[in-house]
Amino acid sequence: MLELTLQTMPFLLEGFLNTILISLAAISLGSFVGLVLGLGRTVGPKPVQNIIGLYVHLVRATPFLVQIYIVYYVLPTTKLSIFDFSNFMAAVIALTIYTSSYTAEIVRGSLEAVPKGQWEAAAAVGMKMRQRLLNVILPQAWKLTLPPLAGVYVLVIKGTSILTVIGVVELMRQGEDAIHRHPAHIMWILFLVASLYFIYCFPILRGIKYMEKKIAAKGARSVAGDAQW
Amino acid sequence: MADGTAQNDVLVKVEGLSKIFKTADGRTINALTNVNTFVDRGEVVAIIGPSGSGKSTLLRTMNGLETISEGHIHIDGIDLADKKTDMNALRADVGMVFQHFNLFQHKTSLENITLPQTLVRKRTKAEADQIAMDLLRQLGLDHLANNYPSQLSGGQQQRIAIARALAMQPKLMLFDEATSALDPEMVGEVLDLIKGLATDGMTMCLVTHEMNFAREVCDRVIFMDAGELVETGKPAEFFAKPSTDRAHQFLDKVL
Ligand SMILES: Nc1ncnc2c1ncn2[C@@H]1O[C@H](COP(=O)(O)OP(=O)(O)OP(=O)(O)O)[C@@H](O)[C@H]1O
Ligand SMILES: [Mg+2]
Repeated sequence: MLELTLQTMPFLLEGFLNTILISLAAISLGSFVGLVLGLGRTVGPKPVQNIIGLYVHLVRATPFLVQIYIVYYVLPTTKLSIFDFSNFMAAVIALTIYTSSYTAEIVRGSLEAVPKGQWEAAAAVGMKMRQRLLNVILPQAWKLTLPPLAGVYVLVIKGTSILTVIGVVELMRQGEDAIHRHPAHIMWILFLVASLYFIYCFPILRGIKYMEKKIAAKGARSVAGDAQW
Repeated sequence: MADGTAQNDVLVKVEGLSKIFKTADGRTINALTNVNTFVDRGEVVAIIGPSGSGKSTLLRTMNGLETISEGHIHIDGIDLADKKTDMNALRADVGMVFQHFNLFQHKTSLENITLPQTLVRKRTKAEADQIAMDLLRQLGLDHLANNYPSQLSGGQQQRIAIARALAMQPKLMLFDEATSALDPEMVGEVLDLIKGLATDGMTMCLVTHEMNFAREVCDRVIFMDAGELVETGKPAEFFAKPSTDRAHQFLDKVL
């Protein structure tokens, strides 16, 4: 078993590296796009809100597998050179779209969860929309995005395993290859693959828990700190 | 105060103001219908009337929190119905006090008062701090400068909220039921503060259910019913002998 592990590990790690690269790229790009879309959906002009709403619903109501096929197989048939990407690029793009749609909804939900009175008070003192968002709304809203965002990030990381269908060399793909070579050890190889996913995802979930606790504690501390009067 | 009736004393002029809300299910609500009124500089006006009569809507159109469906509001000559009017600049000059205080929850009392000054009035932090601390001292709240809203009583929060508005040196202050959400024992401290502002000559419009306060402190009463301005007059006359049946019925109920 040790021998098998030592033998397949470098091979799995090669895929794992791509899993990390693709998911990190998709998470950062998708979060940024999602933030912009979420803001546009909440405070943008009505037509913009509607277009973003349509995008979000389209992406969320279709399976990721379909999306990746469209990005990698259908778009290039238009023969437009901008759609002429490698499978690696296609993977990043499809996952970015996926991440952005969920992030946009999370951002919108947290912006709307800030009480209306906060928006009105910020407006009533003469702040411009940008100032209201930056100084009053977002500082109260961002904490609310953390737990659901962590959930989406973990979904995205695990979602990279689907990329095997367009031949991206990622962790799942390498796992499948290893199983073909050592069919007798399917259990052990799957265990190794699952462990690597776990090692990647678990700290994210824990990290968010820790941040949530820290934020809560900070609130509590400021209460305690001022209790001197 | 309201007696100097020269034209140029008018700070707020409301002409033919109507407000129509469209609800999500497509109905329309006439919250205000052809309202005409004015507020003189230095005048304190109470807006009273039954629930749903359009008091809040009238107040909120005065600082652009609600758009104007028809008619005009001029504040110090600025037309709020004009699309080109910079609403943010106008709001900086019109203070608003809400029923539920609406202090910025993530900011201390002091920061609540300094934030609008630095962002909107472009004061330096030192200037803003100075003005805020002076106000807090005047109001006897300086010991609460570093408290967050969640650590304050309702009465304290509302007084901080008033200080936040005052720090902008507004031309006009709007109060929408500023004491309705307060425990009875805290109503007095907020009303006293507003009374002080009246004495200092601040121009104010107050939506209120405190009829005694309206009678005592205000120069004029506006009575609203079903979106219309039904009657306006001096408190002494209005409360003693309202000239319309609707006002009469209302006063019978609340007094
Ligand atoms: N955003 C809105 N959308 C739809 N209808 C509204 C909206 N705001 C107010 N209304 C309606 O407009 C009418 C006037 O409401 P407004 O809040 O001005 O009354 P009010 O006199 O302040 O009442 P209250 O004493 O209960 O505060 C009511 O029928 C109310 O339901
Ligand atoms: Mg009201």
